Amino acid sequence: MRLLTHNMLSCNIKGVTNGFPLRLEVEKFVEKEVDFSAEFLRNIFPKIEWKALVDAARSMGYAELPDEADSSMLDSDDFLKKFHHALLELHLEEGALICPETGRRFPVNKGIPNMLLHEDEV
Amino acid sequence: MNTLFRTTESPFLQYLNQPSTSDRRRRISSLPVRIGLGRSTRTGLAKTTTRMMASSSSAATETVGREVLKKGIADFYDESSGIWEDIWGDHMHHGFYNPDVQASISDHRSAQIRMIEESLSFAGVPEDSLKKPKSIVDVGCGIGGSSRYLARKYGAQCQGITLSPVQAQRAQALAAAQGLADKVSFQVADALQQPFPDGQFDLVWSMESGEHMPDKKKFVSELARVAAPGATIIMVTWCHRDLSPSEDSLKPEEEKLLNKICDAYYLPAWCSAADYVKLLQSLSLQDIKAADWSQYVAPFWPAVIRSALTWKGLTSLLRSGWKTMKGALAMPLMIEGYQKDLIKFAIITCRKPK
Repeated sequence: MRLLTHNMLSCNIKGVTNGFPLRLEVEKFVEKEVDFSAEFLRNIFPKIEWKALVDAARSMGYAELPDEADSSMLDSDDFLKKFHHALLELHLEEGALICPETGRRFPVNKGIPNMLLHEDEV
Repeated sequence: MNTLFRTTESPFLQYLNQPSTSDRRRRISSLPVRIGLGRSTRTGLAKTTTRMMASSSSAATETVGREVLKKGIADFYDESSGIWEDIWGDHMHHGFYNPDVQASISDHRSAQIRMIEESLSFAGVPEDSLKKPKSIVDVGCGIGGSSRYLARKYGAQCQGITLSPVQAQRAQALAAAQGLADKVSFQVADALQQPFPDGQFDLVWSMESGEHMPDKKKFVSELARVAAPGATIIMVTWCHRDLSPSEDSLKPEEEKLLNKICDAYYLPAWCSAADYVKLLQSLSLQDIKAADWSQYVAPFWPAVIRSALTWKGLTSLLRSGWKTMKGALAMPLMIEGYQKDLIKFAIITCRKPK
């Protein structure tokens, strides 16, 4: 699961109001090389919850992203490379996503998150 | 695209101009889970479901029924996905054919692609670079055929959700193999509780997954919830025929046929396209359009049966497992349903207000 996906997932347990962002529990992660596209990064930037991305990247050991970002930084190659690396090249293979409100663990196996709820959470 | 099909007057379109009527006693908000009413050699399952049906009015029982259904669906696709992909490729949906055509086996792949394109066209999804969808959700994504196709077509990001872990893995592997790992990703999740915040997607896509949803109202609400303002929602799904104004329910023999099919394919109770239109109207969605495409998918099930009867088909079925075989044995029932004008292949599309 790459962090772009993580940035779009939230806990949907009934009654939860603060289900985003999910915390990462990292057992195994890999770095995969992905083709760089400045245009893609510029287009996706407005949709990204920046703090969630920074925190998620940090939990995978990558602390190069600035704490805050604005669109003017998209002119910097250096920034774009770091953004690209964090967003697309860090993959959580085994671990879990944790709901910030309830602590519920959603397991991640072979890179696929399992977001199915139990009967009493619906 | 062929405008002939889009402008063909369909019996469903009349509903769009009628004020919503509530005189039907049939409730569509929470349709009962109906599984295992056909005979099953798995006596344990048959006994459990018979007991559930006897007390189906209690909420707790329905919850158990739902869990059994979800597990049944996941297991069915875990077991069947491989053989389907082997013989039919990565699109697990009907092809779109010219009416009254005898399609050869090589036509089916392009017919399945055509089904996607005709659906997008019917819904009026914009293609220009400013307005085309940038983020897409594939609800009931199978092994990701639609997700990869749409991501490639629009250069968009696509999230797919499925109940089947086997399918999600396979979908991911195919995406990686096709160089799309940066565009599409897959999660194991329930369409009735989509794991996304509100308003995420420009295009909400449900290709032949609606028939598995035990709560049509919740299903449609979730589609609407995750749709961004101005987004297009597309549902292509199996329905039963619309009821006439004097009818409260389908005829007993019609229910009987559908129940047998439900049992084999892990389907809850069916609804009609008109029911879907009503649900969309109740959610104040706009530009609601519906059409009956049954005539354009007619060659599909005979073709699937023929492929199952080949040497490769039969040996693969025997290796797959009982659930897959039961599904294969139910194929003539689908043909019977279409021939009796009971089963309809419907497309229903709309837009989320800006």
